[in-house]
Amino acid sequence: MEDLKQKLKVQIIEALNLQDTRPEDIDDNAPLFGEGLGLDSIDSLELMVLLERNYQIKVEDPREGRKILQSVQSMAEFIQSKQPA
Amino acid sequence: MKGNCYIQGMAAISPQHTFDGDLLTQPMIVTQGNRLSCVEPDYRAFIAPNSLRRMTRVLKMGLAASLKCLQDGGIHVPGAIVTGTGKGSLQDTERFIKEIRDFEERALNPTPFIQSTYNAVNGLIALQQKCTQYNNTFVHRGFSFEHALLDSLLLLSEGTPNVLAGAFDEITPEHFFIKGRIGHWKRETISNDQLYAHVSPGTISGEGAAFFLLTNTPGEQTYAQIGGLQLLYKPTPAHLGTALSQFLAQRNMQPEDIDLILTGANADSNHLHYYQLLDSYPQRTQLPFKHLCGDYETAGAFALWLAATILKEQQIPKAWFPMVTHQPERLKNVLIYNHFFGEQHVFMLLHSKD
Repeated sequence: MEDLKQKLKVQIIEALNLQDTRPEDIDDNAPLFGEGLGLDSIDSLELMVLLERNYQIKVEDPREGRKILQSVQSMAEFIQSKQPA
Repeated sequence: MKGNCYIQGMAAISPQHTFDGDLLTQPMIVTQGNRLSCVEPDYRAFIAPNSLRRMTRVLKMGLAASLKCLQDGGIHVPGAIVTGTGKGSLQDTERFIKEIRDFEERALNPTPFIQSTYNAVNGLIALQQKCTQYNNTFVHRGFSFEHALLDSLLLLSEGTPNVLAGAFDEITPEHFFIKGRIGHWKRETISNDQLYAHVSPGTISGEGAAFFLLTNTPGEQTYAQIGGLQLLYKPTPAHLGTALSQFLAQRNMQPEDIDLILTGANADSNHLHYYQLLDSYPQRTQLPFKHLCGDYETAGAFALWLAATILKEQQIPKAWFPMVTHQPERLKNVLIYNHFFGEQHVFMLLHSKD
């Protein structure tokens, strides 16, 4: 799980071009939108694409997406839940 | 032309130092290799970091130039935003198309798609300035900026107090390669300061963003008045000559009233003959400008910026025009004649404020 979260942080920084942000600057449980990283609605679409490209997970329901993209922790838990046991 | 149009503020990002500092003392930037790239400013002075991270090059160039132009003109929210672009954001377009191929039309990033639309810069300006007024982008190849200008003139004549008009285009390595395949660029590698010594098929490429705050009344810091604009699509050389004479006559002007002609002559032997229509005009008053900005669809916006700068300063920048040995005695009327690869031809007339 820790490796996955670390990998996710690197991917988020790269996908969203978060200049001046390092993986260690991102708190696992801090909200990604509004406060925290201060992401917006276009970023949420970019994160959906990130999940699809890197983890082959397609989020169909926008309400589900809101919960999944709450934090790095929630994203990692969702990815793990979709991976074969 | 109905009504009056004055340039109240302006800003340009180009392959020369046009954005900051004293323009008359800037050296000419010499580029070896047929592809001129813009001197880009520090965008953080104009655009918030959180917005900046998503923007590609031409969006940053367009937005920064427009914001500086508004600052220069002392207006926060313009009465209209009208722009022209030949290609919009090529970086975003190329990225989007490559991703369609690489990801088989699935999982496509929204950002390059959104930003590849031609009116993305207009949208950014409107959002940043909270401007909900008329907003339009014209995409007509070598007429793109000129149609934006024409629309702006119409808006001013209908009573819009001020209009933010501008143009933006970029060149990417891939697009340079593609246009090279269809003969737009010279085969031999030259530097821009030697452009006119190399008359052969093709020219050098360029890019830039230029914005103008236009008003229907003059102000204290007015740069120049736009006195006429004419667009001609694929004219014959004979028609072109007649059209120029009529263009001046309609404005009660004779060739000798023109103090300076800025020409789009670009050493492209395929289309150089069109400039013969200026043979009967005094040669000392003719200056080409494309060694400074290269050729692209909206190079006319750079020419307008340059003409207005010369009229305001009442002198021709020496370092940019080493061929000028004597400054003109009078700089009151400037004619711009430009065409885009022989298809879209434009006459533009500017007057000094006084």
